[in-house]
Amino acid sequence: MAIATQGTASNYLQRAPSPSGLADVIDLILDKGLVIDAYVRIAVIGIELITIDARIVIASVDTYLRFAEAVNRLDLTQTEAAGLAELRGDNGGGDKEKGMIEGAKEAFSGDRRQKERSEKD
Amino acid sequence: MAARTSSRAGPDSAAVGGLYCYGVTWAEVGPPDGASGVGGEAVGVVADGGLAALTSAVASMAIKAKRRDLLNHSEVLAAALERGTVLPLRFGVVFEDESALVDEFLRPRREELERLLRQFEGRVELTVRADYDEQAILAEVVNDNPRIARLREETRQGNAAATYPLKVELGELVAAELRKRTDRDQRALLDRLRKLAVDFEVDQEPIEHQVLRASFLVEREKVSAFDDAMEELAREHAGRIRFKYVGPLAPHSFVSVGPSGAV
Repeated sequence: MAIATQGTASNYLQRAPSPSGLADVIDLILDKGLVIDAYVRIAVIGIELITIDARIVIASVDTYLRFAEAVNRLDLTQTEAAGLAELRGDNGGGDKEKGMIEGAKEAFSGDRRQKERSEKD
Repeated sequence: MAARTSSRAGPDSAAVGGLYCYGVTWAEVGPPDGASGVGGEAVGVVADGGLAALTSAVASMAIKAKRRDLLNHSEVLAAALERGTVLPLRFGVVFEDESALVDEFLRPRREELERLLRQFEGRVELTVRADYDEQAILAEVVNDNPRIARLREETRQGNAAATYPLKVELGELVAAELRKRTDRDQRALLDRLRKLAVDFEVDQEPIEHQVLRASFLVEREKVSAFDDAMEELAREHAGRIRFKYVGPLAPHSFVSVGPSGAV
């Protein structure tokens, strides 16, 4: 059973002692774990009910059009609290071409995250 | 030196079927309590020397695995981990019978299995998945890139045919921005978490809006530090990244044995 932690991030961290969904279990036990060859017979003939919801990223015109639609549908007034911290702060966008983690933190976290600077190693 | 069996996973019940194997523990650890196995069968152990395989009877060598069976496999291993170190097997390993399990697996690989059990003593796997909130990350992209913001305005109205090339360009720019952010954020998350781990493994398959999917091998006494790090990360990225954090688990992502005969 998943247990949400308390605090402001409660909706964004889902903690569970063991895999709660089929997708997580599949990740763990179909692809991973000890495999022993030759001596044993692995005789699973069918796995039913397996659906993976995740979409693999494929660079194609279809993907681009889908992203364009998603961006067009965006209601920026609704996402302001979550996404626009950088507009309230200084101009973090100038750093992004460097692809540096530092730049990313500036741009994405704005003034809410001053304390993180001191935690960096 | 005869193989010993407890519970219902005995030779009689396995006569026509096989013996499903979940993992390997030290013999003194014993079978896990309460977890039911594949097909709802009771889980027992087959011990040889200091090692024990966690097993249950299966009706036939050809298993038609169901959703419940996959979950049970995982739960048996989780229950075993509460009692001691366990080496998890991949789903679907079936031996013909108890003597096949002992003669073809436990005994010839004893040294290797014992070495692995010592190696993973006190260490557990923690898995982390981090996914962008789609609305939030797209808003970041639009607000951070003036060209994207302009193309977005230009393609929001007007007829579809006229704006088609602009939409493709817009989407391509958005895709590139997302890739850049994913790389940056993945590195930042890994930099924070890898320090707390003995080993880690990152799943490289690119999934849409996924920042990170990774497994960390962590000393048990460091798990609470890892918990703290996860909470910090979730606070720092609240609103833009959702984390799913699972464990402690048996070291699924970190165990491996050599090819047959390499013992």
